[in-house]
Amino acid sequence: MGKHEIRLRRQRIASRGSERFRNYGSVLKQHEEGKRIKLITKIFTFFLITAALILIFIMVSRWEKRHEKSIKKTSLTEIINHTV
Amino acid sequence: MTDNEIRKEQDLIEKSKKDPRAFGEIYEKYFDQIFNYILRQTGDDELAGDLCSQTFVNALNNLPRYEFRGFPFSAWLYKIAGNEVNKHYRKHKGKIIFSIEELKVRELIDKTSDDWDEELINRLIQYMNELPTEMVRVLELRFFEDKDFKEIAFILDMTESGAKMRTYRALDKLRTNFNIKMKYDG
Repeated sequence: MGKHEIRLRRQRIASRGSERFRNYGSVLKQHEEGKRIKLITKIFTFFLITAALILIFIMVSRWEKRHEKSIKKTSLTEIINHTV
Repeated sequence: MTDNEIRKEQDLIEKSKKDPRAFGEIYEKYFDQIFNYILRQTGDDELAGDLCSQTFVNALNNLPRYEFRGFPFSAWLYKIAGNEVNKHYRKHKGKIIFSIEELKVRELIDKTSDDWDEELINRLIQYMNELPTEMVRVLELRFFEDKDFKEIAFILDMTESGAKMRTYRALDKLRTNFNIKMKYDG
């Protein structure tokens, strides 16, 4: 048995039956809304990615500074220890 | 559709890509066809209305990606409509309904004997219920929507020979089981 059911329609599908669903204005409205949502999502994603990149950049530069400082400190103590 | 009509339609589609309001003409032209196609697969007016609008919204959203492949634009709309119907049935886990018109069935079958009665129709429906769903889809597009095999293959994402094979198999079974002749041009 298939995943379907055949039903017999005694009357022909009337072409006028679809009239109450015919509304291009509503289709156009839905399309415009969808377009706007897509644009907003794109802008939001762009800002999110930019913010994330800036955050990563700040974190990396801070880590680099700290790393440089600790290298300087260790090399200074090494020199002092060596001379003593 | 003549070549001139197809060219005119393509011009209108190109225009619609820049101005969606121009798509209104395409909408008016194909609305009934697509609505009836969906109605045949749902048997519910309200649902068919919703899925039909969704089909046209999707078509409009994806219009910039549409490319002419030698078929009338309606083939693309049928494809989208079919996907919408499938999506609906996947979501609601129901049985796909094929609501076929008795008059159309009578038109398609050449009555060779006098036993064309209610019982024969019931047996025919029972037989179609037992066919694989893909086969019923092909039969529906071939006989109720009058599509050629190339178009059917495009709409259902299958090969042309696959569409032909499914149709011939179903028709052969019909001929053997029911002793009827189909008004079929091949």
